[in-house]
Amino acid sequence: MDSSFGGLNTALSALYAQQRGLAVTGQNIANANTEGYSRQRVQMRAVGGPPVGAIYSVDNGVGGGVEVAAVTRLQDELLVSRSRTEHAQDSYLTGVKSTYAQVEQIFSEPSDTGLQAQLGELWSNLHDLANNPGDLATRSTVLQQAQVVVTGFNSAHANLAASWTVSRQVLDSRLTEVNTTADTVAQLNQAIRAAVNAGSPSNSLVDQRDAGIMRLSELTGATTINRNDGTVDVYLSGSILVGGDVARHLQATGATRLEDEGIVPVVVQWTDTLATASVAGGEVAAGMQALGQILPTQSASLDQIAVSLMTVVNTQHTAGYDLNGTAGVALFSGTGAADLAVAITDPHLVAASATPGGNLDGTNATALAALATVTGGPDVAYRQMIANLGVTAQSAGRRVSIQDGVKQQVDSALAAQAGVNLDEEMTNMLAYQRAYEAAARVMSVIDSSLDTLINHMGVG
Amino acid sequence: MSLEFRVTQRSLSQTALAGLQGSLAKLGDLQQQMTTGKLINRPSDSPTGTIQAMQFRADIRAQEQYSRNAQDGQGWLGIIDSTLGDMTTQVQRARDLTLQGISTGTTSSVQGRIALATEIDSIRQSLIGSANTTYLGRPVFGGTTAGALAYDPNANYLGDAGSINRTVGPGVSVQVDSSGPGTFGTGTGQLFTVLALVSNDLRNNPGALTADLAQLDTASATLQTQRSDVGARYNRIAQMKQIADNRILDLKAQLSDIEDIDLPKTITELQLQQTAYQAALSATAKVLQPSLMDFLK
Repeated sequence: MDSSFGGLNTALSALYAQQRGLAVTGQNIANANTEGYSRQRVQMRAVGGPPVGAIYSVDNGVGGGVEVAAVTRLQDELLVSRSRTEHAQDSYLTGVKSTYAQVEQIFSEPSDTGLQAQLGELWSNLHDLANNPGDLATRSTVLQQAQVVVTGFNSAHANLAASWTVSRQVLDSRLTEVNTTADTVAQLNQAIRAAVNAGSPSNSLVDQRDAGIMRLSELTGATTINRNDGTVDVYLSGSILVGGDVARHLQATGATRLEDEGIVPVVVQWTDTLATASVAGGEVAAGMQALGQILPTQSASLDQIAVSLMTVVNTQHTAGYDLNGTAGVALFSGTGAADLAVAITDPHLVAASATPGGNLDGTNATALAALATVTGGPDVAYRQMIANLGVTAQSAGRRVSIQDGVKQQVDSALAAQAGVNLDEEMTNMLAYQRAYEAAARVMSVIDSSLDTLINHMGVG
Repeated sequence: MSLEFRVTQRSLSQTALAGLQGSLAKLGDLQQQMTTGKLINRPSDSPTGTIQAMQFRADIRAQEQYSRNAQDGQGWLGIIDSTLGDMTTQVQRARDLTLQGISTGTTSSVQGRIALATEIDSIRQSLIGSANTTYLGRPVFGGTTAGALAYDPNANYLGDAGSINRTVGPGVSVQVDSSGPGTFGTGTGQLFTVLALVSNDLRNNPGALTADLAQLDTASATLQTQRSDVGARYNRIAQMKQIADNRILDLKAQLSDIEDIDLPKTITELQLQQTAYQAALSATAKVLQPSLMDFLK
């Protein structure tokens, strides 16, 4: 036996459900351009009769309308995790590339003003000295040009050191960002677990948490494991960074300037155990690469070239004799690019002559000028260094452009899978609208039937 | 939910944006090439090209220096050549005077021979003066001496045994001075000593003049040999300078090939890229605009 008013209730449930559908569609359209938003769908379920027959069951076998089972977030976890991996790799490679770009700017080759040109000018001036060994102006020019070369080495080193210091500060601020983001993810974990336990919706919280985890991946190459209670654990190379509602923190220790990197290298460690944290990817790993590898290697190469210049020039210079006829002294002093200096200031002391006695021989100056092309000399070593820099910087650049393409594809797939398609939303909106209208119609039909029944039957 | 490939407005706009950014980046690269005029602006643009460019620059600088050195050497050898030419003429005159002394012999008057001797003396002084010729303040026959003279007024050599060389090519060094003793002889065979002897014999011992003439001829021959040697060295330096100058032109052309943009090509590429960018912009604007919303009322 069917209830007279049962149909009204069915129509009402339909009105509620279609309204909810319209609300979700509105939410989707509103967030069509929100970064990290996952589209939502209303899952409707027909309300059936009791599954088991009972004595006083009044089920008519049709069902009691519709209910909203859930508002689900349409997201592909596999794509999300792949996207995190690619983002981490991309930010690592971009970081490395930008460090190489800085180093390239420091050396500014090929140009008419780089270290190569300054060295070339020195060799030219030595030739001029050989042509005119008695001229004090020519001798002064040699010393001044030597000073220019020395300044070139000093400032290249200073620029590398400054670049290192900036990278160190950036590392600190990145780690601060890791720590605050980890805290946020832990808090969201807690909120999501509470929502899941209470059975209330948590879709927007999950979106926020996903954005936080994405940032953690970009920073550190972090990976995740989903838990049954709705929380997500975040790992750094197997060590836990966020476990449920607890976040651990990172800090950087060690050198604070380039000169100390060889003695106390910079390390990233856990603040609680002080154990070294292994950061496999992301911006932090790129920063560590710049601090521990790229900049120290370039600085060491520059030092080698400075020492090579000092050694070959001093050896030849001390083999000669100055204008006063006494044996030449060292022209350069220092231990590397940072403290390379011109050791003499008196132009008389430039040893242009190969024989003692204060004559105007220029043989030693010619020998000094010939150091420009000596095997293993500073010019050759410098060109070699620039060649290596060019090749590594180029390959870093190529890897970034490849990785950009990969990241782009994954992001696009993610946006296609989880993003909002306005045409689809419009179609859904139409469907909900029409269903709502139809349900309202059902209600008015039932109403008019009841009107007939109540007001027009059996009335005189 | 069906798993057929979805396309959403956001994925479309992301792809379009990435494409536009790539296109704009290419436009930026081309624009940098146009404004700097250089194909290689940093080592990573072309590591091989960078090294070649640096090598070529160093080579150009070296060749320019060789050319400069050669020019300086030409100055030295030129002045030596003209001095020696001048001196040869004077020595020839001294020989004529000596022959005159021999032919007149003891028969001529003492006054006549003294006149010859006086002229020989003045030639000798003039020759010593020529032997002290300087280039940029340095005596060209004095080796590497720091002094201003190669010979004192008594024809004693003041210079040293050093030689002045100019590097005019990779590993090519050419002597650009003439050693005083090598040019004018040493000891009793020295040109100035021989002339003093001739002058003395003209005055006091005309019989020895024939032997003196032989010595004068020997000294003169040494001078001639030295002059032709200087000429040969001058030619060699001139050739080396020519080679260096030609090499500079070659190297500059090669450097330009590697480093500089091909203007028509770059302009065409820039135009193409601009067109592509504009096309992408207009296509994006058309594709991203419509949705079902535009058609439903």
